[in-house]
This record gives sequence, C-alpha cells and structure tokens, in this order.
Amino acid sequence: MTDAADLDDLERGYRRWLRWYPRSFRREHEAEILGVLLAGASAGQRRPAPMECLDLLRGALWMRLRPRVPRADRAALAAVKLMYVGAVVELAAAITILLTIDDVRSNVVQRDPDLTRGEWHAVVAGQLVPTAVAAGIAVGFWLWMGWAIGRGHRWARIAFALFCGLNVIGLLNGLVHGSAVYVRPDLAIGIVLCLVELAAVAVIFHVKLAGSPSGASRTAPGR
Amino acid sequence: MQEATFLILTALAAGSQHGYGIIADVAQISDGRVRLRAGTLYSALDRLHLDGLIRVDREEIVEGRLRRYYRLTPEGAAQLAAEATRFQSNAAAALARLGLAGGMAR
Repeated sequence: MTDAADLDDLERGYRRWLRWYPRSFRREHEAEILGVLLAGASAGQRRPAPMECLDLLRGALWMRLRPRVPRADRAALAAVKLMYVGAVVELAAAITILLTIDDVRSNVVQRDPDLTRGEWHAVVAGQLVPTAVAAGIAVGFWLWMGWAIGRGHRWARIAFALFCGLNVIGLLNGLVHGSAVYVRPDLAIGIVLCLVELAAVAVIFHVKLAGSPSGASRTAPGR
Repeated sequence: MQEATFLILTALAAGSQHGYGIIADVAQISDGRVRLRAGTLYSALDRLHLDGLIRVDREEIVEGRLRRYYRLTPEGAAQLAAEATRFQSNAAAALARLGLAGGMAR
C-alpha cells in the first residue's frame, strides 16, 4: 500500500481534478469521492492516472452541463430539447442568410436599379452581416437558455420570452416594410425559427420549473 | 437503460452499498468486464438520485474518510425488475432462435 507521503501527494492530485466539479458537489461529496478514489488507488501510486483524470473531467463537465430534470418530467425535458432544436434552426438561419446574399443583391437591384455599388455594400454591411452575426450569437443564447431551463432557473423563461418577442417583432417589421433583404429561403427559415420560438415559449411556460430537483436533498450526489 | 446503470442498480439490489463497494460489486457481477471509475459512478448516482431510483441510506466515517451508503428506492427496485425481465425475455428469444434455449449448444 502507499505510504503517508504518497497518499498526501495522491490526495492533492485528486483534489486538483475535483476542482472541476461544481462547488455544491464538492461541498457535499468531495470527501466521499476522495475516499473512493484513494481506495481504488494502486500500491505506490503518487498521482492520478491519466484515465482517472479524464474520467473526473468528463464527470465534472457532465455535472455542470446536463439538465437537472428527472426523466419522468417529460415536459421539462421537452422544453430543454426544444431549446437545442432552436439552436440548430438558428444556426441554419445564420448560414442561410450568408448563403443567400447574392440572391438578396439581385432582389435589391431589381427593385431599385439605381442603387450604386456603395449603397449595395451599405445594405450588406448594415443589415445582412449584423443579422447573420446576431443569429450566430443567438445560437449561444438558445444553448444557454437550454442549460438554464434544465437547471430550473425561472428567470430563463422571462429572458427567453423577451428574446422570442424581439425576434418575432423583427420578422414582422421586415415583412411590413417589404424589406428586399428577404428572399424566400431567408423568409422560410425566419418563419420556422419564429414557430420554434413560439412553441418553446408555450412549453416553458407550461412546464413547472422546479426550484430544486424532485427528491433532491443535501445528500444528493450532485447539483 | 445503460449497462453501467443496470449494474449499479443490481449492485444495490441486495442492500445498501457505499461508492467503492458499488465499484467492486459491479466488477464482480460483470466478471470484470465493467470497471467503473469514480467520475462515472458519481455521474450515474447523481442521475439515479435525481430520477428517484436510489436514495442515501446512511453515512459512516471509516479511517477518517466519509462513506455514504446508497440503497434502492421502491421505484428503483421496480425499474430494475422491469429491465431485468425485459433483458431475460430478449435473451430467451435470442437463445431460442439460435437453438441454444435451455443452455444446450447445438
């Protein structure tokens, strides 16, 4: 078996890797998991094995990222999944906008043949690029909302509803003003995105977001 | 249900166990094929606890280290039984079609 000095080194090494876990998990379970790690250590082992480190890192990331929703709560899980679907649609929207810039240009030129090259570039720089960049940022927002709703954060419902409202208003504004920046694929993906958003809003306000996971107690394996 | 999860529930079926006990028992049940590591074990325990399939039974301090014992809840036992029955039924069907039913090789 390892001697005291080796054990101290090993324990320090394990503690370093356990720092990747959420603070609440460590507060409740660090001593317990350390006991398990040390009990499984090989004789003379002085530092965590690479596979142990990888396993702890994976466990820590999983503990931080995964939804804290019981499998039985299908509505809440559906809400989280819908957020991830929304992120994919949003990404598709960003790609569609970038891919259809030439079509938009034709549309704009057809509508206003007197448009100079500089004015056309202003349309791209002032409208299309910001829209594509905003869609890219929105992908991150969807994922963040998925995480927050999976953790039962109530503020996420309000934040998401505001986000959805702004997007719908943006789409309607573009339609009302007959903006030429909308070519069919852009319009189609915009409508799909709005439908996903409205469905997501309906679901997240329908599900009961638990402040704390059902059955969780101070001795739950993690938070 | 993943195999590791099934084996953890199986390890707890006979009574409460602490973390290292579960790891050792799972290795034994699976003939050494499944060797859980601590990170994997605690991720699974967290999920099972969240789903209401296990609960903390008691805590002990052994040689200055905390040991927390987990046990199946009635829901956990029911789910394990259902899963085991499903596996048994599937295995029986497979063996019958292979002509190996009853452990008799062709």
